[in-house]
Amino acid sequence: MEEAYRRITEYLNRFSDAVSSQDGASLSSLLSLSSNHPFLLSLADSLILFQDASRVFKQSERFSQYSEIITHLFRSLQNYRLGNLVDAYQAFEKSANAFIQEFRNWESASAWALEALYVLAYEIRVLAERADRELTSNGKAPEKLKAAGSFLMKVFGVLAGKGPKRVGALYVTCQLFKVYFKLGTVHLCRSVIRSIETARIFDFEEFPKRDKVTYMYYTGRLEVFNENFPSADHKLSYALMHCNPRREANIRMILKYLIPVKLSMGILPKDWLLEKYNLVEYRDVVQALKRGDLRLLRHALQEHEDRFLRSGVYLVLEKLELQVYQRLVKKIYIIQKQKDPTKAHQVKLEVIVKALKWLEMDMDVDEVECIMAILIYKNLVKGYFAHKSKVVVLSKQDPFPKLNGKPIES
Amino acid sequence: MMNQGVSTETIPPVDSGSLENHHVVDASQGQTSSYFPPTAGSDAISWTIHRADHNSTQNGTLPSSTSTYQYDYHTQPPTRNVQEGLNAASLPSSSSSLGTANVSQDYNGYASYPNSTDPYGYGSTGYPGYYNSYQQQQQQQQQSNQPSYQQQQFNHSSYQQQQPNHSSYQQQQPNHSSYQQQQPNHSSYQQQQSNHSYSQTVGAYQNTGAPYQPLSSFQNTGSYAGPASYSSTYYNPGDYQTAGGYPSSSYSNQNTLWNDANYTNYTTHQYSNYTPDTTAYSSGTTTAPSLHYQQQYKQWADYYSQTEVSCAPGTENMSVANTSNVGCPIPGVSGEYPASNTQTPPSYTPPSWRPESSSSELASVQPAAGISGANDGYWQHVAPSSQILHTSPMQPQSQKSLDPKTSYDIFQDQQQTAYSQVPNVQYPANNQVPQSYQSPVQTVPSLDTRRVSKLQIPTNPRIASNLTFGFPKTDKDSSTISAAAKPAYISVNVSPMPDEKVLSNSAADSILKPGMFPRSLRGYVERALARCKDDTEMTACQAVLKEMLTKATADGTLYTRDWDTEPLFPLPNADAVNKDSFQSSTPGSSLPKYKRSPSRRSKSRWEPLPEEKSVDKSASVVNNTVKYGGWTNPSERDRKLFMGNNESKENNFTAMKFSPLAQKNASKNIQRQVKKQRFADGLNAADNGDASSDSDKEQNLTAYYSSAIALANTPEERKRRESRSKRFEKGQGRPENNHFKPKNAGPGNLYSRRASALVLSKNFEDGGTRAVEDIDWDSLTVKGTCQEIEKRYLRLTSAPDPASVRPEEVLEKALDMVQNSQKNYLYKCDQLKSIRQDLTVQHIRNQLTVKVYETHARLALEVGDLPEYNQCQSQLKTLYAEGIEGCHMEFSAYNLLCVILHSNNYRELLSSMSRLSVEAKKDEAVKHALAVRGAVTSGNYVMFFRLPLC
Repeated sequence: MEEAYRRITEYLNRFSDAVSSQDGASLSSLLSLSSNHPFLLSLADSLILFQDASRVFKQSERFSQYSEIITHLFRSLQNYRLGNLVDAYQAFEKSANAFIQEFRNWESASAWALEALYVLAYEIRVLAERADRELTSNGKAPEKLKAAGSFLMKVFGVLAGKGPKRVGALYVTCQLFKVYFKLGTVHLCRSVIRSIETARIFDFEEFPKRDKVTYMYYTGRLEVFNENFPSADHKLSYALMHCNPRREANIRMILKYLIPVKLSMGILPKDWLLEKYNLVEYRDVVQALKRGDLRLLRHALQEHEDRFLRSGVYLVLEKLELQVYQRLVKKIYIIQKQKDPTKAHQVKLEVIVKALKWLEMDMDVDEVECIMAILIYKNLVKGYFAHKSKVVVLSKQDPFPKLNGKPIES
Repeated sequence: MMNQGVSTETIPPVDSGSLENHHVVDASQGQTSSYFPPTAGSDAISWTIHRADHNSTQNGTLPSSTSTYQYDYHTQPPTRNVQEGLNAASLPSSSSSLGTANVSQDYNGYASYPNSTDPYGYGSTGYPGYYNSYQQQQQQQQQSNQPSYQQQQFNHSSYQQQQPNHSSYQQQQPNHSSYQQQQPNHSSYQQQQSNHSYSQTVGAYQNTGAPYQPLSSFQNTGSYAGPASYSSTYYNPGDYQTAGGYPSSSYSNQNTLWNDANYTNYTTHQYSNYTPDTTAYSSGTTTAPSLHYQQQYKQWADYYSQTEVSCAPGTENMSVANTSNVGCPIPGVSGEYPASNTQTPPSYTPPSWRPESSSSELASVQPAAGISGANDGYWQHVAPSSQILHTSPMQPQSQKSLDPKTSYDIFQDQQQTAYSQVPNVQYPANNQVPQSYQSPVQTVPSLDTRRVSKLQIPTNPRIASNLTFGFPKTDKDSSTISAAAKPAYISVNVSPMPDEKVLSNSAADSILKPGMFPRSLRGYVERALARCKDDTEMTACQAVLKEMLTKATADGTLYTRDWDTEPLFPLPNADAVNKDSFQSSTPGSSLPKYKRSPSRRSKSRWEPLPEEKSVDKSASVVNNTVKYGGWTNPSERDRKLFMGNNESKENNFTAMKFSPLAQKNASKNIQRQVKKQRFADGLNAADNGDASSDSDKEQNLTAYYSSAIALANTPEERKRRESRSKRFEKGQGRPENNHFKPKNAGPGNLYSRRASALVLSKNFEDGGTRAVEDIDWDSLTVKGTCQEIEKRYLRLTSAPDPASVRPEEVLEKALDMVQNSQKNYLYKCDQLKSIRQDLTVQHIRNQLTVKVYETHARLALEVGDLPEYNQCQSQLKTLYAEGIEGCHMEFSAYNLLCVILHSNNYRELLSSMSRLSVEAKKDEAVKHALAVRGAVTSGNYVMFFRLPLC
């Protein structure tokens, strides 16, 4: 009991000291619930022992102004320790709310407490995710992450103004992205993005690098969703370039989207890259593109369908089919050229049908003609049809234009 | 007058230029309004336009006329003088003279037409001013007008400059197109009838002007969006009218301002008009005060219907209300009227309505007397203001009275057309609507009206079924004015509809401008009024209600307050209210002439009401409310429609009853407007104040207008109202549920349920700022007892009544019934929705639920009812997720296909694809859907068309 009281008062003293000395680092360590810091764990135990913790800090004038923050924080800590994550989340959100109120007052001059706010934003997201897991396991509707999303939006509102705290806005934005992507409410990202990108007062480059990378990663993913490949390429490449090279998991995540984007623009990754970052699911796809092997592509897509669907690149990869066709026709053209260079540019549809049949793709002339028409239309093949004789007449100059980093015309 | 003459001479060249300009503009715009039928309609249109002019003249005499209108007067040089003289005379005295004056105008205008293009210029100037600068309208317009008088060239220049604005305006709003069309009509008209042509042009302008104003208001409405603002607009029109009524007073004041003797008449007119307009503008509401407005409103109505803006009807109604005020002493009612107009139309919904009328009626119109023809055209919808014309030559006042009605009809027609697309067939409201519709017709006192009615019958065969019973009586009674008034009422009584009761009650509700008020509020009003034992109590009650509502509107709680749980106020002292209202009622009744005494008419109508009421009370207050809701359910429009019915009825017979309320509203509005005016214009403010007081006197003398307006402005009235409101505030806290409970006890325990809801929501003490939605409906879960298999869907407006909710067994039968039914989709959809509602209300989520939703989704898919399908699909998604069995695969496939087809959304497709389970992908239907997707995304059309149709 003595020990418990001592620990609680110690925490209170540390908290109050951190605020008064504007020590963001130590303050954030006091808030970081999920860090499982031994000090916090023992504090939680003490709190469980010492039921009436609020009495402690009500004794002292020093702590009374933070009572709102600390009461809820203690309750959250207690519940967290006991494994009641839903209750822990609820208490933590209240505490965080109170913290934001205080934060507004602190932040007039400098942004010393930003770090603590980061911790808060992170904690609330992680707690919410875990609380949701608890809720679903209890057969209830998960809703805490949504609540966390709206809370973070509030935090974003606090930071989005002018001044030094604006630096923190991107961090919160990234947390918001994580929440939204997890919730599947990606459309909500738009408003946040707009406020980040339209604020000309603040140069994007001034944000912390890690936030920039995260931001670019998520916005790049959004661009993949929107099938805006050049922009997605730009953003994901930015993320890749600036990502800490030691964070291989992060690089892998970026590559997971960057590779399909690059593929769709005709840029194939080296095999070692796929090996290094364990992205072997793309190997067959790349192989299919190289060989013009439609069967392999379809097979690869089918094999990893779930994964691709979940990550959202399925449709991107599916569209590679046209490039595979292009490659196939190109191979036929090369073979014809070896046989008879004068007639090489006339590719009979029958030949393509036969080639596909070898690939166990059962398509008839009509379908092939349709595909060829699309290829010509998308400028993957230069040439024209002789419909009566069922022949594709290829251009003699550059019949198979390369994409060279440009997306397929639509 | 002199000035005008001068102006006319000089004007012609300028006008021609302006005309050309207009034409050019029109051509460039090229927007044709669906509004008027082109060829056949042209004649009719011209007529209507002409009428519009008449109206405007009348308006001019009447205070309510709009500024644009007056401009026209000025511009029309030769005839104008005569007309104006007439108008001036008529203004102070009575409208009877007006009719003749109008006639003269028309002819004159006609004669001078080729040269007289002036009206165009004027009209154009007038309305650019409107559009361009609302704030400065008064001053600018006045200034511009005067200069224009003196120097036509000046006007011309300004006119041209303004034209660009005009063009832009047109582009902005399709309504304007009607204007354009009218011009062509105009040309044709000239050929056919030179006389009218002149007036036509003016009319066209006026019309255009009117739409513009609505536009401004419309924009405002857009901003307000909130019902409160809407209500304000709604009220404003009423105010406007009152202002219009006063013009004579404002007259003198204005004259002083303008000083020029020659101009005095004109200026005063304009001035008065202007001020109201400006006020309206400042308030952001449409001030459509005059008959013009009606026309305009029509256009607006079309516009609105096209745009489906809910606010529009309100504005229209306003205008209508104004007109009604002119004709009848029931100014307050007018506010209600508009709502009725807008609302009623949908029920009719015969789509071919206009064309028929135009073709048949047109022919008849021209040969027939001008008046009758006009009426016909009016009825036909083609010519909105034609009625006015009729009336004007015949009986000015009667015209006025007619006008509102006609306007209603027009509105209805337009709306009908608009609504025709909406499946109204479903709703039984049709019957009611026709009744209401008839009533206006019947009430029309003059012979002309009779003709009209006869004519109408042939023209509107579809409506005829409903109309028929009403019409025969009208024919009989039409000879005597009073009789005419009665028939309307009788028709209502006679009507075999079981819903009549509902209507009567609803009429009470409609007092409170049904259109924009929340249903819960209507229920509240209904409850409050149900307590009343007699008319005096009723009026008193209404007065209190009105206080409440205006207050609520003022502080913005009108829509947020939980009217379901709002305690009823204690019954007010009826006498006090009566005093207020007595002026309005007595003068009207005392007046022997039908025309002059609308109040009396209203009374006669009113007398039978109490009987109805008593019946209603005992029978089904509860039911009424439910039905109400049901009617309203399908959509807001429908609701409005329903409301409209009520209101229209009100117009016919409840005028007395509601007049106090409406009057108060109007008066309040006026005051507000005046205040706003002051803000806007220091000049006008004083004038307005004076005008209002003066107008009071006038009203007493002439009894034209309901005295309500005047009363509102008088200090005594204000005091009285204040005291009343204080009283009301005291009483507010006291729950008065006892009053209505016993009465309602018989039919059902709905009210007791409401009471429980009230307790739950804990709104009891604080007067309830919580919305109905905040009530914990879960605690109100009901166990249905209704055994009827068939039940119409109506959206719940209150806690569900177990007596009207079917238990699961019955619902199962109902589903079978629907599945085996041979009726059309609309019926089935309605039934299924009611089944779904009952399921939801009882928290039934099982295989039956799934079955119902699946059935509905399939039906919806069959007919392409995507919104309904989407509702079902999303419900099914959650139901399947809960593990309830059903045709999950089938609907997964539907969902996939729908995503491919309707949303070109990459993410949605991905998510719905990723949601498919392994088993799902083996399902035949899902496979097919996936194959379709594959074909579509790869662009393999050959494959797509080879896919089996499943």
